Amino acid sequence: MIRFENVYKTYKTGTDALSGVSFKIDDGEFVFVIGKSGSGKSTLIKLITREEKPTSGYVLMDRFPVSKMQSALVPVLRRQIGMIFQDFRLIGSKNVFENVAFAGEIVGMPSKKLAQMVEIVLGVVDLRHKASAMPLELSGGEQQRVAIARAMVNDPKLIVADEPTGNLDPQTSESIMALLEEINRNGTTVVICTHDSNLVDRMKKRVIEISDGCIIRDELASGYSGIITPVPNDIKGGNK
Amino acid sequence: MSARAFLTSLREGIQGILRHPLVTIASVTTILLMLLLMSTFFIFSANARFIMKKVGQQPPIEVYMKLNSSEAERTAVLEYLTGATDHVLSNQMMSPEQNYQRFRENLGTGSSILDDFDYNTYLPYTYHVQLTDPGYADEVVMRLQALPGVNKVMQESRVMHFLASATRWVNIGTAVAFVVLFLISLFIISNMVRISVYSRSTEIFIMKFVGATNGYIRLPYIIEGAVVGLISALCAWGITHLAYDRIFDMMMAKVSTSSFYALVPISGLSHWVLIVCLLCGVLIGAFGSGIAVRKYVKV
Repeated sequence: MIRFENVYKTYKTGTDALSGVSFKIDDGEFVFVIGKSGSGKSTLIKLITREEKPTSGYVLMDRFPVSKMQSALVPVLRRQIGMIFQDFRLIGSKNVFENVAFAGEIVGMPSKKLAQMVEIVLGVVDLRHKASAMPLELSGGEQQRVAIARAMVNDPKLIVADEPTGNLDPQTSESIMALLEEINRNGTTVVICTHDSNLVDRMKKRVIEISDGCIIRDELASGYSGIITPVPNDIKGGNK
Repeated sequence: MSARAFLTSLREGIQGILRHPLVTIASVTTILLMLLLMSTFFIFSANARFIMKKVGQQPPIEVYMKLNSSEAERTAVLEYLTGATDHVLSNQMMSPEQNYQRFRENLGTGSSILDDFDYNTYLPYTYHVQLTDPGYADEVVMRLQALPGVNKVMQESRVMHFLASATRWVNIGTAVAFVVLFLISLFIISNMVRISVYSRSTEIFIMKFVGATNGYIRLPYIIEGAVVGLISALCAWGITHLAYDRIFDMMMAKVSTSSFYALVPISGLSHWVLIVCLLCGVLIGAFGSGIAVRKYVKV
């Protein structure tokens, strides 16, 4: 569960990225965060992963009081989160298997269990046959699937994806989204920042729209710009 | 940290050295040059201290007893000198007769004028005192002057003060040189390692986002730096050893090793140079790398 309570974020430059944002995401939800560039989407993600700290307000991720936790606990928090980036962020010197296993090695997963987990997640993303390939030998879609496998290998409770289809063609984007939907169906919470209106419209999931640091829309089973089913008042806030 | 994680870091550290051979060579060369300078300073100051110590141990204090001093008074002086082992390296009592003989020897061919000299009436008992450190001179002189039967205590005070002061300044100069060279090499190494850290910034970024601790991320770089420092230290020690041995042979060819300006032989310095090189080399390498990766760890 993720909870934001009246969260403000002002950067050192004086830019107000978030202004009194409140919302709650329950376990197992699939949520799109949309908005124009500079609206505060990425800041919201950074606050969840504790890449940034809020200027004021409260951020809770499961049992972690993210906004107030000690720096030493940040690695423990991040082990609960699988991150997916627009530019994949794979290690060029490691093959597919090693890239995926890397995440498990860091958290000290036993070798045998790690090998099994890598096999399983590569199977989920349908890349088991390319386990020994290097990242540069893969297409964009395949690289993003490796990144998804890496995000899954530690069995996270939450997957956060920042523009995961930004560098992919529409067809590949569809397959990536289908994969994330499949992961969500197995109980993992998925939060995706995106500009891809077609995907948001087609998938009809909960949509949180941010503009100038405020939530201007929070709707269940919604599209990129339309209201379909409003969420109850007690889980939304910071609205304009 | 588990043993497996440590072994992984060790492997990564060694791989890091091989991954960027040019950066490794540049880092080893830089630390090596700094360590050679440090070794040179160390050897210079060790020799300076050694020479000053020997000069300070020459009999710079001479105690003159009163002409009518008693046996008990002389025994009291002797007891003080033999008891103050921290300050007094050695002492030698000279009887009036011995002083007379020395006086005659100093006069050489003209000594016959002293043939009828009544030394027991005109010459006192004296003590030649060697100190462990010239810095103790004032204290020893003060104590001796307070003893009964002592007429006067002569000391080469200006020489003693110069030696004490020079020893202090050599020590301070060496310490300052070490700190300055350490900081310079730390700065250079951290900037060099930053190149290899930068090339792995994506890897570090991913490590942070999958929950690696700062220590886990830093350790391979610290090991890499420490190994580079170790290699540099061994090279610096080898070069210093060979060079000083040659210089020693050249300079001491016609000088007795017991001479007060004889240099310290390499056997007496080599292990200290090795310790200094290893300590400084490993610390410079490890700290320099740790500093270089610091910025990237803050994600």
